[in-house]
Amino acid sequence: MAKPIQLSPKEMINAYLLFFVVHGAQIGVGIQGFQRIIYQDARHDAWISVLLAGIATHIVTFCMIKTLEIYGSNDLYGIQINIFGKWIGNFLNAMYILYCFVAFFSVLRNYIEVIQAWIFPSIGTWFLSATLLIIIIYAFTGGLRVIVGVSFFSIILSLWIFPMLAFPMKYSTAASLLPILENDFRSILKGAHSMTFTIIGFEILNIIYPFVKDKKNVRKPVHLALLATTFIYLSVMMVSITYYSEGKLLKTIWATLTLFSFISFPFMERFEFVAVCFWMLIILPNLCFYLWAAYRGAIRLVNISGTTFVWLFSFFAFIGTILIQTRTQINTINTVFGQVAFYVVFVYPILLWLIAQLKKNFTAKKVKNNEQA
Amino acid sequence: MNKLRGKSIVLLSFVFLYGCAQTNILDKVGLTTLVGYDIGAEEKIATTAVIREVNPEFQSNVEVLTTENDTSKGNRMDANRKLSKKIMVGQMRVILFGEDVAKDNLRYYIDTNLENASVSNGIYMAVVEGKAAPLLKYEYQNIEDIGQHIFRLIEQNVKQEYMISATLHQIAHDYYSIGKDLAMPIIKRDDELVELSGVALFKGGKMVSTLPAKDSFYVKIVRDTFKVGLYETVLEKEDIPSKFLQKPANKITVAFDAIHSNREMELVDIATPEFDLNIKIKSRVLEVFPDINQGDPKSVAGLEKAIEKNLTKEISRVIAHSQEVESDIFGFGEKYRSTVRHSKLTKDKWHEMYKNMKVNVNVDFVILRDGVFE
Repeated sequence: MAKPIQLSPKEMINAYLLFFVVHGAQIGVGIQGFQRIIYQDARHDAWISVLLAGIATHIVTFCMIKTLEIYGSNDLYGIQINIFGKWIGNFLNAMYILYCFVAFFSVLRNYIEVIQAWIFPSIGTWFLSATLLIIIIYAFTGGLRVIVGVSFFSIILSLWIFPMLAFPMKYSTAASLLPILENDFRSILKGAHSMTFTIIGFEILNIIYPFVKDKKNVRKPVHLALLATTFIYLSVMMVSITYYSEGKLLKTIWATLTLFSFISFPFMERFEFVAVCFWMLIILPNLCFYLWAAYRGAIRLVNISGTTFVWLFSFFAFIGTILIQTRTQINTINTVFGQVAFYVVFVYPILLWLIAQLKKNFTAKKVKNNEQA
Repeated sequence: MNKLRGKSIVLLSFVFLYGCAQTNILDKVGLTTLVGYDIGAEEKIATTAVIREVNPEFQSNVEVLTTENDTSKGNRMDANRKLSKKIMVGQMRVILFGEDVAKDNLRYYIDTNLENASVSNGIYMAVVEGKAAPLLKYEYQNIEDIGQHIFRLIEQNVKQEYMISATLHQIAHDYYSIGKDLAMPIIKRDDELVELSGVALFKGGKMVSTLPAKDSFYVKIVRDTFKVGLYETVLEKEDIPSKFLQKPANKITVAFDAIHSNREMELVDIATPEFDLNIKIKSRVLEVFPDINQGDPKSVAGLEKAIEKNLTKEISRVIAHSQEVESDIFGFGEKYRSTVRHSKLTKDKWHEMYKNMKVNVNVDFVILRDGVFE
């Protein structure tokens, strides 16, 4: 068995905080405009796709936790080395770090794009990316407990955005959802597959697991978090389908933000401008967790200090945001990343669980045989 | 401690850098409150913009500018060349279309306004009888800011439910919907006033017909649920048994206040298609001329029947008119799409079917009460 990660209680977190970790890591930039991507495939049954994707996250998480329980207190990086050996294991670890980097980068770039498209078209990408990176570096240097704190506050402070969905419901027509299941099952599944980019984030569990104090209580908060995420996505999707008409939803790039665009209060003419700015708080946990996950992998590969790592990582992300400028490039990255993420997040953990289980049985037999001999 | 100070200096510098974003100070911008589109004499689009220039010392100044260019943004640049202040569109409240533009195609105008993040989805849209420019350029005696005036005029009538609501969101929704066509109010200049004169019916992005303002009540009642709205109708002599009348008369005028209305559409025959349209109206009768004894339950029931008959006739007429011009502003197609599985409906296909559609209108009219004096 692999050497478990040794941690002092001071570095650990309570299991219930995983609710905020998982939920905070899931909701990010995807929710701003996932509707039309799902709608392209599943049409007005898109909400079923969202539901299916939500169920899939539960199944995958179930497998993840099973795998992690086999190893007691270890993370994905340790498990990979244990199962596949030093070379392949380290290669997979490096790949996973790269995955975290691309995820981090795509969240960052997408958010900057939203700010530029909605509010400040003339602000330089470098400026927004540098500002955001500095905040992230600041949170990261505080350690895991600070990052978890960020995700906690990110969720609590943005709770008020959710009831805003009631405003567009004024123009909703429930008939838009009918007839249910008109589209064939394949296109609905395809829609669920397109949910990947939006719904991922819960794979952070693979890395954060050793840091949980009471590991036997992990299940409940994690599944609750997934449930909450599915519920939010489902409500946003339902409201969007009923609020927009077919053609309009397909043409709206950030449907959630446009949903907010006619809400106005006597003291605030355009609500979505506030929402766009406020979104920074929502994506912060996303960014912090991917950065942290990459860091956990990097220290196993090379001997590197946290500060050096975070500056290097940020530097590459910064260069990346400057190089990738146009909407087409960003869309390509989102699509490609979504496809890769599907295998990394939804397929791989199930495979890994099967392999880990096999290996466990195999070694258990071997030990037994040895004892008998 | 030193390390912390270093960090805070870096952070602070960003705070100051933030000020480098482009600023829009109220004194230095011209707020476009209304834009009217016409087809230009030489170029594609003639834009008339009502621009309010806020001046802290003097009274605010309202400019009405007409420019011609191939795009609406190009028009904005042209207008910028004529003004001392930068033009912003964030406060735009109304978009008007000249009749020629509306009859051509609105697609471009809907899209360009949806694309622009600084244009709110809640702005009103309307068609102008004739051209938009003369309506806006006319020097009204009592109207200071024509942009603000038209906005208030439309807003007030929509809120009171006298006129159908046509915000950018609703227009775009209907335009991009398979089974529904869009409708807009029509405005025109009436001497020194601006008046809402009717409803424009569209087929796709083209205006195909109009209905008089009086009919907007029927359009509204079939389009969606109705909360408050005053309406007046004329009952024919044969609609109402003369025994209820206290004085014989040829025509009876009734004004009522629809407290609440509810409509239900049901698709009864897919092939034709045939719809049942059930409308329930609860109302308060405000005026009847000549008098009817409203204390007598029988005559109230008789009046209800007569109004039902009258409304059924009028609503059928309005729907028949819309069928003639193939403009489904009521959303029957939407109902068809959501009821029939695998209908593969397209807008063109629906327009074909809409012509031959049959509608059975049933109105259930209930008089809740009249005033405080019988």
